Amino acid sequence: MDFEEVDKGTHVVLAPEGKFNLVAAPPLKARIDDLVAAGKARLVVDLHEVDFIDSSGLGALIGGLKAARQQGGDLRIAAPGDQVRAVLKLTNLDRILAPYATVEEALHDW
Amino acid sequence: MVMPPSTGRQEAEAVAHSGPAERYDRVVRLAQAIFGAPIAALNLIGNDSQFTVASVGFPKGEMPAEDSVCQITVQQDQVLEVRDLRDDERFAAIPAVTGPPRVRFYAGVPVRGQSGQNIGALCILDLAPRTLGRQQREMLADLGALLEHELAVQEEMDLAGQVQQLMLPTSAPDIAGVEVAGRVQPAREAGGDYFDWFVVNDPDGAGKRLQVVLGDVMGKGLAASLIASEVRAVLRGHSRYTDVGDAVARTSTTTRHDLEANNRFSTLWVGRLDPITGALDYVDAGHGLAIIASQRGYRRLYQEYMPLGMPIEDTWNRASDVLAEDEVLVVVSDGVFDVLDDSFEEVEARLHAIQDPGLSCREIVDRIVAFAVSHAATDDVTALAVRRVARAGPDATSQEPAPATT
Repeated sequence: MDFEEVDKGTHVVLAPEGKFNLVAAPPLKARIDDLVAAGKARLVVDLHEVDFIDSSGLGALIGGLKAARQQGGDLRIAAPGDQVRAVLKLTNLDRILAPYATVEEALHDW
Repeated sequence: MVMPPSTGRQEAEAVAHSGPAERYDRVVRLAQAIFGAPIAALNLIGNDSQFTVASVGFPKGEMPAEDSVCQITVQQDQVLEVRDLRDDERFAAIPAVTGPPRVRFYAGVPVRGQSGQNIGALCILDLAPRTLGRQQREMLADLGALLEHELAVQEEMDLAGQVQQLMLPTSAPDIAGVEVAGRVQPAREAGGDYFDWFVVNDPDGAGKRLQVVLGDVMGKGLAASLIASEVRAVLRGHSRYTDVGDAVARTSTTTRHDLEANNRFSTLWVGRLDPITGALDYVDAGHGLAIIASQRGYRRLYQEYMPLGMPIEDTWNRASDVLAEDEVLVVVSDGVFDVLDDSFEEVEARLHAIQDPGLSCREIVDRIVAFAVSHAATDDVTALAVRRVARAGPDATSQEPAPATT
């Protein structure tokens, strides 16, 4: 799976699409790690094009969140679809990865 | 000539029956292309049969070992080259020489298994007599070594899967009044899903309890299975001495380093049942997929705790319910929920399949796993079912070892 990446200066928006699973998660996580290492620790993952996430996808988001916070930044998720919301809620991961309705809302205090 | 059974032949049988062999096709195609031969194959020599597990220009399948050229190759340690099979009395009368495809030339390199004995051969066949040069013979030997490596990796994975299977409970728990069954179908040879059950003494001194567990470590395959084994063992250890809430909290503390270092998390659903009263303590660590069902309907047993291995601290405290005598506790992994579109409406729509009170726990878990597999589940699939019974018989428990692939 490819993902779009837009560097807005104050933050970077990453937009994976399709199935965010064992195949797609490692490249996105690797890119997040590289961005954080380069000092870009404010990240938004725009999920509106993701129609399926599994535990590997969740793992990449949690791992990215951890990396970003360790560098004083944050990782926020925006515009998840029904399946993504259902899985976040099921695992209670929405407690640390609260979904924002849009990318703009995710940026509210940056 | 029929050979006596040997470790190598037993191993060849096991490998031939261990599932799809696509990973060997690549090397076989390479051999066929390099040598410009119409036929190339990986043949495993079992007790009485040759198993063609990967091939180009020749059908995969089984044939009598005595009709095989490779069964001679496996008895030596170097490349066997036969310029014209018709001129060699060992092979002139075998069906592939006397009839279609009427092969003439053979070159094969023996392939060793984990036992150190040869289990098969990579061979190329041509319809006209020919000879190989020294470099070509070396190349064939190199390709054979490449296949040996592929076989070793596959066997290692299969063994890991067996180890994981053998860690699952297989016998009825030593406690009266309860029936329990579980089943795992890993997406790969091994996986991050597991179930467990064991008897603990209630820390309040009130008697024996059956503890049941369903755990799911993020990801698939061998790496996830290593972490799953650790979480399973640590939870077993802590569970002996304390209630389920505390046991999960201590398991989180003990495994925190290993989960974080590997960027993994684990969901857990842990229940502790008193079969006499039906009192059920449970903890739901981000799992969310436990229900109590009966003909009257169902209710979820879930809490808002996070999985183990999250970057923030959480607490885990037990909740309580009561399992009535006509109810069944069912816990599944997200591999099952995924084929239900991650929707409890779908769960409700499918509930009738497990509501019949005449179904045994084993039938319930088999139905759930079969349903998920038939709906193309891509993840590990696990189901656990528990109910109270008047008296636990010898058949009251089951755990069916599942093949790595379906």
